[in-house]
Amino acid sequence: MAPALETRGLVKDFPVGLREVKLRAVDHLDLSVPAGVIYGLLGPNGSGKSTTIKALLGLVAPSAGECRIFGRPSGEVAARRDVGYLPEAPYFYRHLTGRELVGFYGRMCGLGRRELAERVETVVAQVGMTGAADRAVETYSKGMLQRIGLAQALVHDPRLLILDEPTAGVDPVGSAAMADLIRGLRDAGKTVLLTSHLLGQMEALCDRVAILDRGRLVAEGTVAELAGGTGRQQLEVDRLDEAQMTELRAWLAVRGRGLHGVAAAGRGLDAVFLERVGRVKGEGKEL
Amino acid sequence: MKGAPFSFLRLGLVAQNTLREAVRQRLLHLFLGLALALVLGARSLRDFNFGAPELKFIADCGFGAMTLFGSALTIAATAQLFFSEIENRTALTLLAKPVWRAEFLLGKLVGVALLTALFCALLTGLLAAVLWVREGELMALDPEGFRGGRAVSYAMVALGGWLQWLRLVVLAAFTLLVASFARTQVFAVVCGFGVLVICHLQHLAQEAYTRAGSAVGVALGGLFGGMFPNFQVLSLADSLAAADLPAPGTMVRLTAYGLGWALAAGLLAVLSFRRREI
Repeated sequence: MAPALETRGLVKDFPVGLREVKLRAVDHLDLSVPAGVIYGLLGPNGSGKSTTIKALLGLVAPSAGECRIFGRPSGEVAARRDVGYLPEAPYFYRHLTGRELVGFYGRMCGLGRRELAERVETVVAQVGMTGAADRAVETYSKGMLQRIGLAQALVHDPRLLILDEPTAGVDPVGSAAMADLIRGLRDAGKTVLLTSHLLGQMEALCDRVAILDRGRLVAEGTVAELAGGTGRQQLEVDRLDEAQMTELRAWLAVRGRGLHGVAAAGRGLDAVFLERVGRVKGEGKEL
Repeated sequence: MKGAPFSFLRLGLVAQNTLREAVRQRLLHLFLGLALALVLGARSLRDFNFGAPELKFIADCGFGAMTLFGSALTIAATAQLFFSEIENRTALTLLAKPVWRAEFLLGKLVGVALLTALFCALLTGLLAAVLWVREGELMALDPEGFRGGRAVSYAMVALGGWLQWLRLVVLAAFTLLVASFARTQVFAVVCGFGVLVICHLQHLAQEAYTRAGSAVGVALGGLFGGMFPNFQVLSLADSLAAADLPAPGTMVRLTAYGLGWALAAGLLAVLSFRRREI
């Protein structure tokens, strides 16, 4: 089975200035994203993430190398039938309502009228926008734009989703719900390519990640492979007093082990926020 | 999986969306308002008729308003509707779908053509109404002068509106061609007005070069003639009389001339846009 996404020797140069000096945005990138996983693309600003995504979507032409989507060259229009794309900080036709917008993109993807009506209702509900679907897009908040953007990416039921910073501008409640939704998509057999600067979220969400720097692939693998491997473990126990702590240290020393850190286990601000503001899981998975 | 052949449905959807976006633009309201005011006010301006018959003067005012404000509207709307897609990155989302760039660009062109069709239809209708009313008044004042019935050929007015629309479509296609490779909207607008001037005046230049007998001049004139349409071809004889109605074959040829130029410029725009990085 062909990988969901594949780049081989992908190079993208941009001419800069009057003399058109070449600036290399992507440098001989080899990536292979297996189907059915959440794959994170990480890297600092200017590392080539967005250019890679644009090359995968056929929006920029590679200077060298090739990109494939489920085995098809990504420059082919037909290859994009299998792709749903949410751009970073999306901006949509302001004069349309949310429902009209999702319907417009659905029709562009070739959905028939009857199928379209069903799909629009499904995806609008899936992203928690049913209540605001008949409002003009120009009245939407940043978070709502992300949600309706996700709905338009999902409307034609693609096998692959490319989400560029899907939680940018979304509050923690929305981010958590978005993460749940992305996991749900993976569980339904979709492949998700994700970029984000929220490394904690990426770590919790992604099955595999690739780290880019200056257009080059500097690391790739599962989160456990990349972030694990210190040879240490974290144990969470009930609070120990000073005497018990001394006893524990002695017990470990006898066995050739050391205690390298002690910290009070907190619930984390995220958990407190979600609990207090929380309408995440109980109320229709609003983002 | 099947391929994704060129789709007129998708092209139509882009056109429909472009039109919806365009009719909400204040620019359209401004130019439409000015043109309507000029047509409606033509009767009040009849003291400046320079000896032309009154009804002819009103018709000239109407078609003049269509040319002036229609051209400005066409150039500005084409450039703005194209660049708003690029700058707001709505093109990014759209072209990430299984959509051909040709569908996107030609859809934009058809959307602007529909907009200009509405503009021309509205103004032509209004002009015909103004002429009808004034002609009726003149008939009441001077029944002898209109013994043979109405003098204005309203079919001629409609044909004038049709040819005006053809010119605006050609202008939109050339503006889109420039926009397809231009980096800024201002550049596309300036070039659009340049094309308008060349298309209107190139026949004068060709005549002058031919009169001067210079081989270089004639070659230059021929070059411009090959690169740009001659808008003088797309104008009716200086008359409103039914007797001067062009033959159907002539109208077909003129329509083919206008749409042919628009299609050629549109296809060149598609070629240029094919490699543009979004």
